[in-house]
Amino acid sequence: VDVCTFEKVGIRGTNIVVLGVEKKSVAKLQDERTVRKICALDDHVCMAFAGLTADARVVINRARVECQSHKLTVEDPVTVEYITRFIATLKQKYTQSNGRRPFGISALIVGFDDDGISRLYQTDPSGTYHAWKANAIGRNAKTVREFLEKNYTEDAIASDSEAIKLAIKALLEVVQSGGKNIELAIIRRNQPLKMFSAKEVELYVTEIEKEKEEAEKKKSKKSV
Amino acid sequence: MAATFFGEVVKAPCREEEEEEEEEGRRETPEDREVRQQLARKREVRLLRRQTKTSLEVALLEKYPCSKFIIAIGNNAVAFLSSFVMNSGVWEEVGCAKLWNEWCRTTDTTHLSSTEAFCVFYHLKSNPSVFLCQCSCYVAEDQQYQWLEKVFGSCPRKNMQITILTCRHVTDYKTSESTGSLPSPFLKALKTQNFKDSACCPLLEQPNIVHDLPAAVLSYCQVWKIPAILYLCYTDVMKLDLITVEAFKPILSTRSLKGLVKNIPQSTEILKKLMTTNEIQSNIYT
Repeated sequence: VDVCTFEKVGIRGTNIVVLGVEKKSVAKLQDERTVRKICALDDHVCMAFAGLTADARVVINRARVECQSHKLTVEDPVTVEYITRFIATLKQKYTQSNGRRPFGISALIVGFDDDGISRLYQTDPSGTYHAWKANAIGRNAKTVREFLEKNYTEDAIASDSEAIKLAIKALLEVVQSGGKNIELAIIRRNQPLKMFSAKEVELYVTEIEKEKEEAEKKKSKKSV
Repeated sequence: MAATFFGEVVKAPCREEEEEEEEEGRRETPEDREVRQQLARKREVRLLRRQTKTSLEVALLEKYPCSKFIIAIGNNAVAFLSSFVMNSGVWEEVGCAKLWNEWCRTTDTTHLSSTEAFCVFYHLKSNPSVFLCQCSCYVAEDQQYQWLEKVFGSCPRKNMQITILTCRHVTDYKTSESTGSLPSPFLKALKTQNFKDSACCPLLEQPNIVHDLPAAVLSYCQVWKIPAILYLCYTDVMKLDLITVEAFKPILSTRSLKGLVKNIPQSTEILKKLMTTNEIQSNIYT
């Protein structure tokens, strides 16, 4: 399901989890708010998906119901691993039933558990799920993943702003038109999901560009 | 006639076709003939001159001398040549091939618009023996031979080099590896015996085969001992796609396209613009 999908990046920081997605250009008469790619599953868990939008809607609805059902039954919010396992099991069921087709989505699920540790999981249509420190899904996932492998360091994720910048930088590697096509969401420990406005994203993008320029100036000074 | 076990004589079924029945079955009524001729006229491949839009009397490459012929078949290959090759020189249109088949979206065979089934032929103004063909229509099996005849003629010259670019869906690629691990899009090459240069990518392995017009052109070149190479890009996106088009980039360094490509960064910009103007945003995928 990497065909025709836009980039999604997930990063697990020490105190923050970041989900960045590439915004696709919306038709003029279309209401942008209805084209959401980052969805909250509960107060402390959210997910971004790549693939068939309709399939994602079904999976997200089931996951949201499960989150509440779990809270009512066990009186504890779901762990990120639990809800990922639920989604993955659901996906797997559809690969082994007659008359059904698999869900055409890959998902990045991020959040914080009660123990305060951040989590990032990725699921795919086969129903497998794995934990990651940072990952990307979508058409250019390979390029983005290579970038993350090079630049994901303990320093990079130590501070919240550095983790956010890393997500944006990773997306800028492959996103065509820069900052205005990036949507960002973060969850800080014990805080609900926060979606960034376009202005806030632009601020980070400008900061990144400034840092790049300064780094290049330093390089040229050194070579001279 | 045969005798059975009990002595009866029965007419044995005869596998030989009886002459009277054969003639009756094959006799064409005038209506059948008319329909068949109409269909043949409808499906005729016409090669037209650019200015006058009249048919060419001789084959294209018999009329003009040719040292190099680059053919792009399919929208991604066409976009690649448009951005990288056609922007690096002045190309003049010499003619086009007009054809109709069931794949065309219009039923009107006489007024095909330029965005419809067309193969356009260009030559480089600074070196008129270098030809280029942009074919974004589907050429059906019965029309491929006609296309070859009208373009190459019945006795083609051997001192030209042909390069064909096309795409195919990665699900057609047969391999013992897991298809999930295939680095699509990827390039494979297939060349004729007389093509002595090396390809810029691995050769197409068995049991994979080439289909449609690229196969027809390559077979024709093999039979007529013309050096030709086909670059086939296996991709997972058949519509116009930036990553698929960029997969053709290794060909820019080969002898086939040497000297024809000047400004690569500018070409990349032009390609991006081409993509955005052609983008039809679908709401199915996110």
